[in-house]
Amino acid sequence: MTNPLLSVRDLKVSFPSETGTVDAVRGISFDLKAGRTLGIVGESGSGKSVTSLAIMGLLDENVRISGSITFDGQELLGKSDKQLSAIRGNGLAMIFQDPLSSLTPVFSIGDQLIEALTVHRKLSKRAAWARAVELLETVGLPNPERRMKSFPHEFSGGMRQRVVIAIAMANKPKLIIADEPTTALDVTIQAQILDLIAKAQSETGAAVIMITHDMGVVAKTADDVLVMYAGRPVEKAPVHELFHRTRMPYSIGLLGAIPRVDKAEKQPLVPVKGNPPLLINLPDACPFASRCPIAIDACHTREPDLVDVGNEKMGEHHAACIRSHEITDGGLIDGRRVFPLPDVSERALAGVPREDRPVTLEVRNMTKTFPLMKGAFLKRKLGEVHAIRGISFDIREGETMAIVGESGCGKTTTLLQIMDLVEQVDGDILIGGTSVADVRGGHAERTLRRDIQIVFQDPMGALDPRMTVADIIAEPLRAIGTKKAESETRVDELMDLVGLDPSHSNRFPSAFSGGQRQRIGIARALATNPKVVVLDEPVSALDVSIQAGVINLLDELKAKLGLSYLFVAHDLSVVRHIADRVAVMYLGAFVEQGSVNEIFEDPQHPYTQALLSAIPIPDPDIERTRERIVLTGDLASATDQSGGCSFASRCQLFKVLPPEDQARCLGEVPPLTGPENHRNACHFR
Amino acid sequence: MIVVATNLTYFLAWGFLDPRNNYVGRRPPLSEDQVVQLLQPRNLSDTVSLLERWWNWFSGVIFRWDWGVSPVGQSVNDQVAYRMWVSAELVLGATILATVLGIALGVYTASRQYKIADRIGQATSIITMNINIVVAALGIVLLAIGFNNMVGTTVFFVTGSASPDVTGFFPIIIDALQHLILPTVALVIIGYAGTHFLQRSLLLDNINADYVRTARAKGLTKGQAIRKHALRTSLIPVATQVAFTIPTVFMGAILTESIFGWNGMGRYFLETIAKNDIHGTVAIAAFGAVLTAIGALLADIAVVVLDPRVRVS
Ligand SMILES: Nc1ncnc2c1ncn2[C@@H]1O[C@H](COP(=O)(O)OP(=O)(O)OP(=O)(O)O)[C@@H](O)[C@H]1O
Ligand code: SF4
Ligand code: SF4
Ligand SMILES: [Mg+2]
Repeated sequence: MTNPLLSVRDLKVSFPSETGTVDAVRGISFDLKAGRTLGIVGESGSGKSVTSLAIMGLLDENVRISGSITFDGQELLGKSDKQLSAIRGNGLAMIFQDPLSSLTPVFSIGDQLIEALTVHRKLSKRAAWARAVELLETVGLPNPERRMKSFPHEFSGGMRQRVVIAIAMANKPKLIIADEPTTALDVTIQAQILDLIAKAQSETGAAVIMITHDMGVVAKTADDVLVMYAGRPVEKAPVHELFHRTRMPYSIGLLGAIPRVDKAEKQPLVPVKGNPPLLINLPDACPFASRCPIAIDACHTREPDLVDVGNEKMGEHHAACIRSHEITDGGLIDGRRVFPLPDVSERALAGVPREDRPVTLEVRNMTKTFPLMKGAFLKRKLGEVHAIRGISFDIREGETMAIVGESGCGKTTTLLQIMDLVEQVDGDILIGGTSVADVRGGHAERTLRRDIQIVFQDPMGALDPRMTVADIIAEPLRAIGTKKAESETRVDELMDLVGLDPSHSNRFPSAFSGGQRQRIGIARALATNPKVVVLDEPVSALDVSIQAGVINLLDELKAKLGLSYLFVAHDLSVVRHIADRVAVMYLGAFVEQGSVNEIFEDPQHPYTQALLSAIPIPDPDIERTRERIVLTGDLASATDQSGGCSFASRCQLFKVLPPEDQARCLGEVPPLTGPENHRNACHFR
Repeated sequence: MIVVATNLTYFLAWGFLDPRNNYVGRRPPLSEDQVVQLLQPRNLSDTVSLLERWWNWFSGVIFRWDWGVSPVGQSVNDQVAYRMWVSAELVLGATILATVLGIALGVYTASRQYKIADRIGQATSIITMNINIVVAALGIVLLAIGFNNMVGTTVFFVTGSASPDVTGFFPIIIDALQHLILPTVALVIIGYAGTHFLQRSLLLDNINADYVRTARAKGLTKGQAIRKHALRTSLIPVATQVAFTIPTVFMGAILTESIFGWNGMGRYFLETIAKNDIHGTVAIAAFGAVLTAIGALLADIAVVVLDPRVRVS
């Protein structure tokens, strides 16, 4: 047996804060061998980042750290910043979450890369330059020579993350810590970056710590998995064990809460109720007890240790739960589910065929162009950005239509056009049959606005912190002139409807958690009894266990109130779960459109195929055996107006077509064709 | 801009100053004719219409670069040409020193946020920022005199910008420094704190930036990462601010120059006002406008030097 490369023993980290000491990490131990990948998962605030920063020695001096971290035979704790800096970036490298902010804006890519090389070894200028170019080539940046002189702001997020990886790889590290390396990126780019990290690993033989909250990423990359909760590891096992023989209720809950892109059945997701505890003065009890459906009295008397619950055959498997021996495969206890399935509310409209339902929102040939300006003082018009190029769809009562696509493809612009009731040049927007062209100002516009409301992505930013929840929810009511007493009863009713306690209505948003704030946003949108609710990435800022509850709420409200949703998301698993119809958007146009099952089961357009295959599935067996289409390149820009298929520059099908067909792709814009419940815009599909 | 501002000052100056007042109360009293005779050739007599006076003055400036003469007939050009350098010596030195000191202190205290060094630095700066220049200057003069007495020779001169009878290259430089030190120190003391606070807060914003963490993850020590990565980005607004304060510092030198008996622009400004020297006042205003323009230009240059993103686009 070889010695582990990294060995962490009883690591504890606490921060002084005004309200008391925050015990962010409370005793974590693991070993990691060269060439292996450890996945660390857990909700926001569970201590994943703090653990990784402690290993890197990047925490502030006022932070208290205890335990032991041995890397490559040396104890890291207690070393000075200077001693550690000889190891950081050399033997030990790190990739950060947000590529947009992790490069210095005022230095060129080349300078930053060369600095990573020369800070650890003496290299001539030319040798450093050559090695840097080589690194950029390895991480797949086109034109590396020229890119060396570029500055970070000239790069997209995916390209910047490649540069960060190149910096991490620069000195052939033995351990790479990746803290949510793909969370900020689109799925197709995420697939590229994960492949790249795997490549970096195989080239350098490094060990990797992959920190993520995405179970799919874990299933794809990790050999061993460590689940963290409230600063402690609660389950630790090889990846197959963890996914198939889960023994700790929190991990079971985490897995049950994820919508699956590969499963059609409409089962409600199983949310984990409640919120993680604050990490100040935790009592000596199982920290999960308040959220655990199978908690017993003994759970409240002592914090369970992480003990081996594995057997001879299966090898090691650690869990921190006093009832883990009672839990059997598939998340069952005494033959019943640890997390009981929530009730499925029957849809009032489920039986009514689509054609017989009234259309609540119709968009015909929507277009939007932005002028492209250049110059600080004298603005010159350089051209136009075609943000939306003629999209059409309709939504019927009780139906959810989802628009999916990568960042910058025009999803939000589409929503804004609808919400602003923008009159279309050669098209129309109809809300409940009324054209926006017919209403201008005044009463008619207000009536129309009641029928369509929006819920925003960011539950923190969307609510005014100085208004009470009651005021926030009642705001749209006041806008249409509802009386005070009437709106007060309505607020209570709405809070109840979205699962909030009406007695909390005089509190401020800061007193609520992310998931609760999103519920406030939903309550506010429902205040005027709209027909259509527009949802802009409503769950993407939430943790999975919380997200599941919000998704279920949306489902339930739709069934109860017969709402129509226009749902914008980049997470295809969520879309598959919640939507009835879906449109895939690429550079301002729909490339595929139809019913959810049709499109997810049998994607036709090459872009949809790539998108679907890029989503990691939270099951290591499926994830590691399936065929994958990895797209090359970044999202093209909306200014390029070639007159051919806008996807051609990245299309995997295009590459294998005979030249005469390729000419058609480049010369002729493919129209959206096919039957109503499944159309696509590719000449050859 | 400069031209407009200068011309505006010309008219304003005529509104507030009257050269005729110089002769009021003279003994023996001058007759009206005598006064006009004295003033008219100097283009300062209100018997000529304002427009004509203005045109005489303005055409002189643009065609002959002649800024006119004072009520007693001294050429404004000569005065400014000499005093400009006297002031520049003082102001430039003080600005540079105050900036360097402010930035250095900003960096030092920011990297030790909330530690004793930071708190002491902050407290000192708050005090110095609120000291009046007169108080600071007098205090320094007293200290210097005490020091001179202690060592027995005049190390620091408390008045004037140079001794008249010094010759030779090195002696002149040493003499200049001996004169320069005290007023410079006075200006630096009251001027550095603004830069210190600005630099400190900007750097603190940047110290926790992700890219500083990336730099440390590469293998730079915390100090190196701050100096190289955080400082560069936080210097940009500081440079802009400093460049724009140059005219302010110049005017702040008014009192300093008077206290230390320097014949610089600041003192000239006081004198011209006292003597109803319209042409001198206008020339100083023009000078101020030019300084502002230079300051703006320097700020732009600094930004371009520090921020390559501007260069690229
Ligand atoms: N500098 C700090 N001062 C005080 N508390 C901190 C500090 N940094 C982190 N914490 C606290 O430590 C706990 C763990 O944070 P950490 O960033 O490790 O979570 P995480 O698991 O990485 O979450 P995420 O998924 O959001 O990245 C949180 O409660 C956080 O508020
Ligand atoms: S110890 Fe008790 S509360 Fe904690 S996870 Fe196990 S059963 Fe639930
Ligand atoms: S039209 Fe051509 S380029 Fe476009 S998706 Fe189809 S095959 Fe690819
Ligand atoms: Mg984190």
